[in-house]
Amino acid sequence: MLNKLLGTQKQEDVDCTVTIVNTFESLEAHVRFNDGTTVNPGDEVVVHGRPIEVPYGETQSFERRATVKRAGAVERLWTRATGDFEFMELCEFSFSQGALRPGALAEEYTS
Amino acid sequence: MNAHNPPATGKPVADRKLNETTKMAQENTLLSPRFYTTDFDELDRMDVSSVREEWDELIASMRSDPNKGHFKRNEEWDDITIDDVPVELRTELVDFLVSSLTAEFSGCVLYKEMKRRGTNEDIKELFSYMSRDEARHAGFINDSLRDFGIGVNLGFLTKTKKYTYFKPKFIFYATYLSEKIGYARYITIFRHFERHPDKRFHPIFKWFEQWCNDEFSHGEAFSLLMRSNPKLLQGRNKLWIKFFLCAVYATMFVRDHARPEFHKAAGLDIEEYDMRVFEITNECTRQCFPLMLDLEHPAFLPTMRRINELAIAIDQANQKGGVFNRIKKVGLQLAVASKFLRLYTLPTKKNDIPAISRMVPAW
Repeated sequence: MLNKLLGTQKQEDVDCTVTIVNTFESLEAHVRFNDGTTVNPGDEVVVHGRPIEVPYGETQSFERRATVKRAGAVERLWTRATGDFEFMELCEFSFSQGALRPGALAEEYTS
Repeated sequence: MNAHNPPATGKPVADRKLNETTKMAQENTLLSPRFYTTDFDELDRMDVSSVREEWDELIASMRSDPNKGHFKRNEEWDDITIDDVPVELRTELVDFLVSSLTAEFSGCVLYKEMKRRGTNEDIKELFSYMSRDEARHAGFINDSLRDFGIGVNLGFLTKTKKYTYFKPKFIFYATYLSEKIGYARYITIFRHFERHPDKRFHPIFKWFEQWCNDEFSHGEAFSLLMRSNPKLLQGRNKLWIKFFLCAVYATMFVRDHARPEFHKAAGLDIEEYDMRVFEITNECTRQCFPLMLDLEHPAFLPTMRRINELAIAIDQANQKGGVFNRIKKVGLQLAVASKFLRLYTLPTKKNDIPAISRMVPAW
């Protein structure tokens, strides 16, 4: 949003590989940019295409296009200054809004 | 960080009649992990040569993967469906499983990213094992959720994801603490159910002992990383360590109190349980942190209680909505901030960091 206001947003379209492991042994999901593009603080990434689902028990990779929206200088500084305070998510008791009111985040995602 | 889709009414699985014989995912748990980036050059500059002996020993143990094969369902696993869980307990049990899954999943993604973007072989090897363990834990919890007819929704992958930033030193403080406090929580619950097997309302708790040993050894690695760079444990950084301790302890206290049914079913007194977890965590952190929060300080527990009451009041104001409650919420948030400041300014106990980092999970 800050980027839009400052008119500094740059975009790059890149190919990426999304790998999902949805098995008993492991649950993981990773996005890798094929050309080695790296993401910096405040950047936004959107992987295009249909929502990705992998049936239980399977490991699958998907080749997709993705857009990296680069953060402007201000946005990057802001993210560097404030990002650290989101660390609580790494704890099992992660302090999240709506943890016991399940609708909240789902709404955020569908809006 | 956890939510269920479609939006439910607050009891995501309470009134559903699930077919006991099928493990179809009838409800989705929308995973919404955060995505991190850090200063990878700084991470690459980490040099563990001053702790090389201990480091190599720990990495060798992680490489041998002692817990491979542990996370399997065997005769110890009692089949359980959501119908076996008392109605009032369901929401909180599912919330517990989903929160744990999200934490493991986020850890896995973060560690994998650090492994992938690093060039320092020591760091890369460490993070590959930690990522492996977290993914394994996530898989195990995922399977337990499937017993309840809940599947994970990876919808976040095709939504816009914003990458936030963690300084390497904050990654160390935060993940070190989250691994050690995770150990303390899981082992306290495991020991409790050893004494009170009749209260064990879900079979997953039987796996907590080995599980928390993984958490413990991850913590050992972060301790060595911090000790290899002593500046992280001195001077102004002590203020950061104190901040992280206060934030993590207070958050845990508040969150656990938001799960009354879970603890009631387990026969755990929340306050006693939390204080025990803080004690164990304090003991663990003696290996690298120069200070500990003084749990016996007469103002410690009352301040925690007050923060919890204020957090509940904020939650209620949120739920009621409206202009009045929004104003009220601002006042309550200021009150929480002032209580947190009170917690932060309580005197701490000094700790002399020992010559050797290594600790044995003896609790």
